[in-house]
Amino acid sequence: MDLTLVLQGVVSGLLFGGVYSLMAVGLTLIFGVMRVVNFAHGDMMVWGMYLAYVLATRAGIDPYASFLVCAAALFALGFVVQRGLVDRIVDAPHEMQILLMLGVALVLENVALVAFGPEPTRVRSPLASATLWLGPVFVDVARLVTFLVAVALTTALWAFLFRTDLGRTIRAAADNTYGALVVGTDVRRVYAVAFGVGAACVGAAGALVSPILPFQPPTGLSLSVASFNIVIIGGMGSLLGAFVGGLLVSLAESLGAVFLKPSLKELFSFSLLIVILLIRPAGLFGRRSA
Amino acid sequence: MKWVLVAGVLALLALPAVLSSYALTLFILIFFYGFLGQAWNIVGGYAGQLSAGHAAFVGVGGYTATMLSIELGLTPWVGMLIGGVLAALLGAIIGYLGFRFGLRGFYFVLLTVAFAEICRVAVSNIDALGGPLGLYITFTGNPRQFQFQDGRVYYYIALALMLVATLTAWAIERRRFGIYLAAIREDEAAAEALGVNAFKYKMLAMVVSSFLTGLGGTFYAFYLFSLQPNTLFGIPLSVEIIIRPIVGGAGTLLGPILGSFILTPLAEISRLYLGQGGLHGAHLIAYGVLLIGVVLFLPEGVYPRLRRALARRSGQTR
Amino acid sequence: MTHRLTRRTFLETTAGGAAVLGFPLPLRAQPKTFKIGAIHPVTGALAEPGQACRLGAKMAVDAINAAGGVKGKGGIKLELLLGDTQTKPENGRVEAERVVTRGAQMLLGSFDSGSTNAMVSVAQQRRVPFLIDIAAADPITANVAQSVKAGQQKVQYVYRNFPTGSSFGRKAVQYFIEIFKEANVSPKRVVLMYCNDLFGQNQAHGFQAAHKTANPSWDIVEVIPWPEPPTDLSTEVSKAKAAKPDIIAPITRPASALLLFPEIRKQRIEMMGIVGPGSPGIYESGQIVQLKEDLEYVLTSVPWANFKNPKTATAAEEFRRRSGGKTFDTNSGYSYDAVFVIADILERATALDDPDAIVDAMKKTNYSSGLMQYGGPVAFNELGDNANAIPTMIQILSQKPVAVWPKEAALQKFVFPRPRA
Repeated sequence: MDLTLVLQGVVSGLLFGGVYSLMAVGLTLIFGVMRVVNFAHGDMMVWGMYLAYVLATRAGIDPYASFLVCAAALFALGFVVQRGLVDRIVDAPHEMQILLMLGVALVLENVALVAFGPEPTRVRSPLASATLWLGPVFVDVARLVTFLVAVALTTALWAFLFRTDLGRTIRAAADNTYGALVVGTDVRRVYAVAFGVGAACVGAAGALVSPILPFQPPTGLSLSVASFNIVIIGGMGSLLGAFVGGLLVSLAESLGAVFLKPSLKELFSFSLLIVILLIRPAGLFGRRSA
Repeated sequence: MKWVLVAGVLALLALPAVLSSYALTLFILIFFYGFLGQAWNIVGGYAGQLSAGHAAFVGVGGYTATMLSIELGLTPWVGMLIGGVLAALLGAIIGYLGFRFGLRGFYFVLLTVAFAEICRVAVSNIDALGGPLGLYITFTGNPRQFQFQDGRVYYYIALALMLVATLTAWAIERRRFGIYLAAIREDEAAAEALGVNAFKYKMLAMVVSSFLTGLGGTFYAFYLFSLQPNTLFGIPLSVEIIIRPIVGGAGTLLGPILGSFILTPLAEISRLYLGQGGLHGAHLIAYGVLLIGVVLFLPEGVYPRLRRALARRSGQTR
Repeated sequence: MTHRLTRRTFLETTAGGAAVLGFPLPLRAQPKTFKIGAIHPVTGALAEPGQACRLGAKMAVDAINAAGGVKGKGGIKLELLLGDTQTKPENGRVEAERVVTRGAQMLLGSFDSGSTNAMVSVAQQRRVPFLIDIAAADPITANVAQSVKAGQQKVQYVYRNFPTGSSFGRKAVQYFIEIFKEANVSPKRVVLMYCNDLFGQNQAHGFQAAHKTANPSWDIVEVIPWPEPPTDLSTEVSKAKAAKPDIIAPITRPASALLLFPEIRKQRIEMMGIVGPGSPGIYESGQIVQLKEDLEYVLTSVPWANFKNPKTATAAEEFRRRSGGKTFDTNSGYSYDAVFVIADILERATALDDPDAIVDAMKKTNYSSGLMQYGGPVAFNELGDNANAIPTMIQILSQKPVAVWPKEAALQKFVFPRPRA
């Protein structure tokens, strides 16, 4: 085996893991707090990508700058979805929530199809073509940046949840809805904010990976599936888990591509998922009680 | 109520005499998805174990019967049963892992999705099974090969499948098995405390459900004449299987059928009237809005609401 | 009923019908149009090419009707009954049944091989002649031919005017050999990279089989399939680089092309060039806008329009206008030609209301006015395929796709090996 290739596979895998981590952080927040299984996650991310695309092509704003705008827009979307839809069926059977989010996903995907057409696209950014070379191993600058942003975003989110009053309220409501009600929390509003924050992360992630990952309206489904894998492996509701899970899945796929047929590489993430589900369903960093 | 059902079945038996070939095709799809939905309902509805990977059973069943027919010349009538058994075996494996390791709710959902996806990726990489290009069945119109020149035969087969699944569900519902499943769905710990062997009954439900779903694979293959891993093992098919019973009312006998009678024509109508213009995708937006509407306004599904409405009316007239 | 039977229409229908056929007809208006069910995936994963196919077919119908319809049949106009498969096989069957019930006398479609095969069953069951405009899987027509040969079916109703996977492969290998010879280079190591989906696998296998048969002086040293759509191809490209290629032969989809070509540039692979055995993702105007210099000098062997024909330029201009700026290429072109082939068949058919008469005319097709680049007139062989449907080697030169091989199709000389940056 070519040692350079293995080394390159490790480097590429870890760097691309940043993309996966970004994808998963928002999802883990939404699930961790509200136990809402957001099947529209990938489609929300695609909307983040399209917003970045519009801002780049119409206003000339680089996605590495416009991601904050995308985050704000998706916050609004998330807030509305929680307040207007999810909140109204809290007492309905579990499967209804899945159906609801599937409906939302279908609407988001096809509104994107009507608005932007079916062609795959990608946002051009000068950063996306830059490379660094460490001897024979190359480092993709855009992925490196994405990786660093993933670290920063995860840290910021952690700080929000554990160091601000609103964050503490969200966590309290998540741990004990009844208790939060007793102390007078507006739980519905807290939930809507939490969903919004999760969606904002998704929007930011979409914008940030839009120069790396080509997208078209149906891309959302595969993004959702990949994100769920990562979140389960890392531990539902755990920020650190989402981050590490992203790196792990990406590394597994990259090394799978090195040693086997690359078209088999998805087997690794799904097998990893099954093993984790069976031996540690709370995930690598999740709390036992999950 | 019973007489209404009998009359309904009789009407469906007589219907092909007046249906156009297109309407016949729609009914075939309604029955077929009603059948798959009913099969899913046994484990997903009655037992409350949300499997979102039922496409895997369709795939295993369809590929088995097709390979046996292409390679060994075995008639799909027999291949269908073998396919069902293999699907049940896969169901048993998934069920064993899921139930033995206590995966509930969303965790079980993901376990089933992961298994279906592994099947999809694996089949996509096995050249002997046609890889992503899939398998292509020669159209002969020979009944021994599960093919019919006359579309009405497919109609009766699909109807029979739906009735078989519904009778199975009915038999389960009436027996102690059904009561146990309901108890497990509502509160598994309490059911176990009362001495119900939850693992055993969940396994049974899973095996029956996956066997029936596997039978459907043969119908799919020999009605559409080709199999591709992306369509037969893919998430979209799993979603198609679960939305009808959920809309109609999961865990009710007529919910899956009602759901199929509502959603299949609606999907068709929205495609017909919104899919022709320049706005490609408008019909799927409408379909999505409809799903959201059902969840918001009929959160238990259509059938339970309908049944209550009927009961109220008959109560008033009495 | 909104139509009231007036005395005039009554007279027209009965008198006209009776005069032509010599016996009284039931009270039904003669159809004013010949209806063709045109079924493509205009939503779902393959919406982009599906929409191009639909527009190509519409343009051809408009052109034929504007020029007076099917002249040999009293100027009967063509009408498309549109269908959408949503890229699902079952909808191939449903939509085919629907359009046939609504009066479609022929079928056209449907891009993806699964839906197409589902349409085949309808065509054979209900005796509706079916011209496949695009779908590359070999068994679609071959299976029907075999079933007719074995006496299980009486008539073959399914014909295809598109290269099959195996003919794609044969032509690609032939063009590779010829171009290397013409350029006076002798590459040794070719790395085949492909999207592991229906189309990609079919193309890759056709290419590998043809390579084995031709046994040229170059080897396929590494085969790298990726799952489609991929999220990342950096490791795949590193793997290709490690195989020290002279040529990378990619089979892409538009989405994976957006990942693959920049990655190849970023990883700085030293080689003669990129020569594809034939796939989308390389020549579409949207792709070129996005990939810019990464596509420059890329060669690929695809079904291509014959731009030496002035009519092609006119059609391409119309397509650009009606599609909002897209290129007239493989998909739109083959759907466009298919409608013209149908019109040609109808001109020659002895009767339009008898499917077997249409099939007879179909078998005798010898049509040479297509806009695509063919190896000869459109004609159907014993399998129902057009052996003259062949690809052309095109190259992206100055950000435009240009036909460069074979010589009779070339508008410009190819640039190979590619200049060093």
